[in-house]
Amino acid sequence: MTEPIKTEVAKTEAAKADLVNLKWNGVDIQAEKGSNLLKAALDNGIEVAHYCYHAGLSIAGVCRMCMVEQDGNPRAFPSCNATCGEGMVIRNDTPKIKAAVEATLQFHLLNHPLDCPVCDQAGECGLQDYYMKHGVYDSQMIDKKVHKPKVQDIGKNVMLDAERCILCSRCARFTEEVTHTHELGILNRGDHAEITVNEELKNDYAQNLVDICPVGALTSKDFRFKQRVWFLKDVHTTCIGCETGCSVKVSQNKNGAYRVKPVYDHDVNGHWMCDDGRNIYKHVSSPTRLSSASENINGLFVPVDELSIQSKVKGLKPKYILSTGLTVEEYAQFFSSLKGSKVEVGLYTLPNLGADFDGILKRGDKNANLRGAKAAFAAAGFDSTQEGLDKILNSLSSNDVVYVVIPEILYNEDHFNTLIKKTEKAGMKLALTPGETLSTLRTFNYLLPVPSFLEKNGNIINHQGLSRPLRAGLNYGETSKDISYYGKWVNV
Amino acid sequence: MKNTANNKDYALLSYHHIPGVHNIDIFERAGGYETMKECFNKEPEAIKEEVKLSGLRGRGGAGFATGVKWGFFTKDRNAKKYLLCNADESEPGTFKDRYLVEKNPHILIEGMIISAWALATQKGYIYIRGEFYQQAMILERAIKEAYAKGYLGKNILGKGFDFDLYVHRGAGAYICGEETGMISSLEGKKGQPKLKPPFPAIKGYRGLPTMVNNVESLAAIPWIMRHGAAAYKQWGTEKSPGTKLFSISGDVNKPGVIEVPLSTSLKDIIEIHCGGMRNGNKLKAVIPGGSSAPIFNAEDSYIVKMDYEDVAAKGSMLGSGAIIVLDETRNMGDVLKWTLEFYHHESCGQCTPCREGTGWLESVFKRREKGQAHKSDIDLLDKTASSMRGQTICALADAAAMPTQGMIKVFREELETYVSASTKK
Amino acid sequence: MKSPEKSTEKTPTTNEPFAFSAANLETYKELLTRYDDVESALLPVLHLAQEQTGWLAENVITYISNLMSIPEIKIKEVISFYDMFYDVPVGRNIVQVCTNISCSMFGGREIYQGLLKHFDTGYLTPTRDGRISLQKMECLGACELAPCMRVNDDFVAITDLTSAIHKLEELP
Repeated sequence: MTEPIKTEVAKTEAAKADLVNLKWNGVDIQAEKGSNLLKAALDNGIEVAHYCYHAGLSIAGVCRMCMVEQDGNPRAFPSCNATCGEGMVIRNDTPKIKAAVEATLQFHLLNHPLDCPVCDQAGECGLQDYYMKHGVYDSQMIDKKVHKPKVQDIGKNVMLDAERCILCSRCARFTEEVTHTHELGILNRGDHAEITVNEELKNDYAQNLVDICPVGALTSKDFRFKQRVWFLKDVHTTCIGCETGCSVKVSQNKNGAYRVKPVYDHDVNGHWMCDDGRNIYKHVSSPTRLSSASENINGLFVPVDELSIQSKVKGLKPKYILSTGLTVEEYAQFFSSLKGSKVEVGLYTLPNLGADFDGILKRGDKNANLRGAKAAFAAAGFDSTQEGLDKILNSLSSNDVVYVVIPEILYNEDHFNTLIKKTEKAGMKLALTPGETLSTLRTFNYLLPVPSFLEKNGNIINHQGLSRPLRAGLNYGETSKDISYYGKWVNV
Repeated sequence: MKNTANNKDYALLSYHHIPGVHNIDIFERAGGYETMKECFNKEPEAIKEEVKLSGLRGRGGAGFATGVKWGFFTKDRNAKKYLLCNADESEPGTFKDRYLVEKNPHILIEGMIISAWALATQKGYIYIRGEFYQQAMILERAIKEAYAKGYLGKNILGKGFDFDLYVHRGAGAYICGEETGMISSLEGKKGQPKLKPPFPAIKGYRGLPTMVNNVESLAAIPWIMRHGAAAYKQWGTEKSPGTKLFSISGDVNKPGVIEVPLSTSLKDIIEIHCGGMRNGNKLKAVIPGGSSAPIFNAEDSYIVKMDYEDVAAKGSMLGSGAIIVLDETRNMGDVLKWTLEFYHHESCGQCTPCREGTGWLESVFKRREKGQAHKSDIDLLDKTASSMRGQTICALADAAAMPTQGMIKVFREELETYVSASTKK
Repeated sequence: MKSPEKSTEKTPTTNEPFAFSAANLETYKELLTRYDDVESALLPVLHLAQEQTGWLAENVITYISNLMSIPEIKIKEVISFYDMFYDVPVGRNIVQVCTNISCSMFGGREIYQGLLKHFDTGYLTPTRDGRISLQKMECLGACELAPCMRVNDDFVAITDLTSAIHKLEELP
């Protein structure tokens, strides 16, 4: 398995010292010497039409949209296949290039169906975007278009519409170069060429294919027809699915979250994220999500006033079992609220799931902020180990009230149930849950809602020791400022 | 076919009159492989220099000087690198390489061994188009004979030089004749051309330096090394020295392959070497360098000299030397239709302007069959062809565009009539 | 294999596993010695497999994929790219008819259409007796023979449809 992220880091650091000056359409830009010319333009905020180029993939040079001219070179060439050198003078605004790009866009549209009204890509489609800029408005194409299969479920929640495909080959390169699973290829020659799946998609990164498809050929079955993208707003946050901590954006509107996409993070996830991470938002607006403090009455949870809970726990000795999903700030606030009290605190760590590392991004350790939790425990003088946790569990008695922070995503309920079982001896059991109301929680006397990762601002520390932010999404601005929800029970 | 033009003293077909010359013993008795043995006593750089001096131009179609191309190749003799012979001859109208190797495979093998010695390539492949099955077998047998004589393999003739040579069959795809398409194909992939830079001489087959030369170019090396660059330059012009194989087909009495000095007039080729026009018909037009070459009308055909510069000066290209002769009974609409069908079928499909453009060009003729084409479609053809040029990884898009625009330039009225004759009103 | 007139329906693949014959397995091993990596041997290996079975069905692709450790999709890409690799069942004899410029000048297209009609078949579809598959081809590189056909591995010069039919009736 390759580790593209690490080599990229090394390369960039070495090259950083070596900047060159170029002119693009008369504008001075700087770029690393020998770096990709198209990327240099894009990084400098210059718009250059392109379909096949993707910074996370090899160079295909086939869409021919990023053609440029260079002083002293009679032939136009694609900027994606050129590297930056000192003093280069590049233009893509000459009449010759403009005419060429306009013609090439026309060629892209020749066999593309005009089904934009029912296409999920509409609004973020490369063809639409560039057609507004370079389009020829009187279509000369009166011939029959080449027909290809329209709606195919190719597995892993991905739908393929071969007719919309412009054969940029990004997806085939992705399954070859990133996942090494080789499910996709382009069969046949000429305008019969067609993206084809061998059996079905089998990799754990398939939703990235939807992201990198510049048109509506690959769409997400999950997202299909649910929302028009222009009604959504993105919140840039961090995936809490495992200790990798990929940078992501969550698309939301006032009714909730609809999808998660990766955000380029050079040091953590590069361009990609795994399919598991795409689901991390689902509990946030789930109908079974706990919305208010509740009391367990014969197995049914009924809303209850927090003050009445306070009266029930008064006099009992508080013991805390935290999850690894709190932010650095939440841990700090919590431990500072313990000052002067003799509260015992342990840490529940999620068990590993699957391989330690899949060679790409996914890690078996699902504790998103394990590093942050351990540091906070150590700083406050608490034991974050399993032994420390066991000690608390073994000492529970009817004089105790135990507060358990439920992990936001429970991958292994059985493992968690073993922990719950061990809390039985406590006189009173309270669960603080940012997630759904699971049947597991029936043994608790009270449930208290706490914010999910999309409802709070703070930071988490990933497996590399890098701090990454969690950001509150829409409608959660009020609660996100007060983070005393964990610590406020200490001094009841 | 009688090769009236094939002088025994010319470079390429000089053994063709010898019965059984495909056999190594007969080839050697006629002087074959002697030059190779002499070359092993020469400095590789001296061989490269001689080839450069000869002015030999690549015979695959582009006409780039072979010696100059060799000059781009790494001089590190120990570095792993390959010699690749382009025998994918697929340009419509071209069959010279087939004719050369099916009778005389050893002239190519000798040329490749000399080239391998000069370039220090340890392995070579002859990439031959899939349709040339028998020719591939002839080459296989000849290679086996050369191995048996110790001309191929390890430590050739005790010179401490290794060179292995294999035949690799294609499977029916025109684009594999493009040198980077050929490399992709040899690598076991679709024969799609690769982005340049890097050029194959730097990064070719398997990412290693690879020299790709046409059959006819490599087969000319033994003669050049035996007789010297100066002798080679006795033929042709300063910019087009030497002799060239021409494949002639169409409306002549004797179609076939001839070897003549470059700059021989097309008139002589038709009238003397090919026995004149079939049925005594009048000449209408000639495609002078394979189907990618813009067409000549009768007038230009009768004055053009078949060398790189004169054919170019008259608006076409010498290409692979495939001459298709068309008489007064031919309709240029048909010819363009057949040509465009070919490029549409053969576009590899990776670059958008070519993948979509070649289909679009042909679609005018498909519409014509339904009575839906119009006179104005000829302008559309011209415009489309123009926007395909210079936009793609390889030259296939240009190869479709050039004959289209060339045909429109010379025979516009005939084309307009052709497409609109059956138009439904 | 791709044609503008792709009329042939792919028949269901057989479930029988494919394997090289002992002799072909030896040839396969010899082929590998010619190249510096396994992938480069793919085209000759596909030729070899096709010689053994006639066409390249899914079971052949699976076998070669396992044998050479080349992803199936890569093999499918290659088969679909080249005119002489067949992903549909074909007749015992492959007859390729050139319809490029020089051959069309001498009736190549009419001969191809005439043969399809005479044998009552379509592009690559085997004749009912399984004897012949006809394939329209671009320039075969034998223009001096125009109109020209390739019958299995050999070029055949013909003069017209009648002589073409005559030649093909002789085929086993």
